[in-house]
Amino acid sequence: MYEIRVYLLTRIFLRLQPELAQDNDVQLLKAIAARDEAALAQLYDRYRVILFGLLMRILNNREEAEDVLQEVFLQVWRKAADFDENRGRPFTWLVTLGRSRAIDRLRTLAARERVAEAGAREVIEETSDAATDAFKSEQRGLVSDALAKLPDEQKGPIMLAYFEGLSQSEIASRLGAPLGTVKTRMRTGMIRLRELLAGQGESFGF
Amino acid sequence: MVHEDYKEMIPARALTALDAAEARALDDHLENCADCRRELAEWEATAASLALTPNPMEPSAAVRERILEEVRNDVSAAEVISFPATPRSVWSSFGSLGAMAAVVLLAALLVSLVVIWKQNETMKPVREFAQLVTTPGAKVSELKGIELGSGATASFVYDKTGHAMLMANKLPSLPEGKAYQLWYIVANKPPMPGKTFRPDDAGKGILKDQMPAGALDSPKFAITVEAESGAQAPTMPMYLRSFEID
Repeated sequence: MYEIRVYLLTRIFLRLQPELAQDNDVQLLKAIAARDEAALAQLYDRYRVILFGLLMRILNNREEAEDVLQEVFLQVWRKAADFDENRGRPFTWLVTLGRSRAIDRLRTLAARERVAEAGAREVIEETSDAATDAFKSEQRGLVSDALAKLPDEQKGPIMLAYFEGLSQSEIASRLGAPLGTVKTRMRTGMIRLRELLAGQGESFGF
Repeated sequence: MVHEDYKEMIPARALTALDAAEARALDDHLENCADCRRELAEWEATAASLALTPNPMEPSAAVRERILEEVRNDVSAAEVISFPATPRSVWSSFGSLGAMAAVVLLAALLVSLVVIWKQNETMKPVREFAQLVTTPGAKVSELKGIELGSGATASFVYDKTGHAMLMANKLPSLPEGKAYQLWYIVANKPPMPGKTFRPDDAGKGILKDQMPAGALDSPKFAITVEAESGAQAPTMPMYLRSFEID
């Protein structure tokens, strides 16, 4: 009975975590906008492993990914005052900044030299989930589960767009599929992903 | 394009997967549609969830130190902008200014911007332009009117990620249905289309744009007059063009 109470309380806490984490992040960004270096350090410490994992996934190069990570947080330092909490969450803003910079860097690198083939990818080191707080680990699992439920024909265009920065035309060319088909599959996949994430979020509560 | 067409494009926009023409059309629509802006924010949150799927990884400790060191050495707004020590390839059809003239020109530009800023704190575009100019690694280019655009001038600034802004003066007025269009010109490539803009009654024009990735490598700039919806390739002679600064 005790174990069940602990389990339920943990689930409730994790259910509340998104709101708590978001409020905290908003306060951090406000502090950063007020030139609080410690707040920037705290935000960095909170999100560095997730962001760096994203950048490595896109760039497949530690040196480039670290350079972009540095650029992202310097941009946060300069642009924190521009964040509007009425328009979205801090995490979304941060991830969007990071991905945008990484895709730009990927395109610049591809313009100068050939991108390494998939077979020559750097070994991606696993980081224990202990390095990521419990909330993000749980969310990571939910997103991975949702993606796994998408048909490959829908997941493929989404992944190519998000992690390789390809446009719909480029994806159509890569997959040898009609542009209209790619557009439909991407849109259908995103709608389904959103439904799955919303459904998992609701079932998370009591 | 009807409103429903724009709404259908939003999920792809959240993935930044729209082709250039559709992206511009949707961006123009978003400037005037709060409903679609809200919807885009929701789809961007969905897209951001994908960032959780790669394996979390630990960057080296040095990254944190470099960030905090640079923050501590926060550059003031009066920083002198540095140009690359070694000029990139010269496009001989464009003229060049001496280094001294360039420094004087930029110093005058910055001084005039600061003066205007202090005189009127509400001049947001000027403030945004100045902020972009002082971004580390930002580059500035001056455009001058030629032939049909004689007398017009413009300043163009962009940062390392391609966020760009143009401020133009003394532009000839345009008939209905026409607009000025910015072009990005990189050696050995056809001109890449930028956004369009119309001047105000005083001949001033302001443009914010996101440069195509392929345009970031030593670009030159030109402005032509096209249909207000923009063109994929220049159809008219240049009104303004940039000078290379050594």
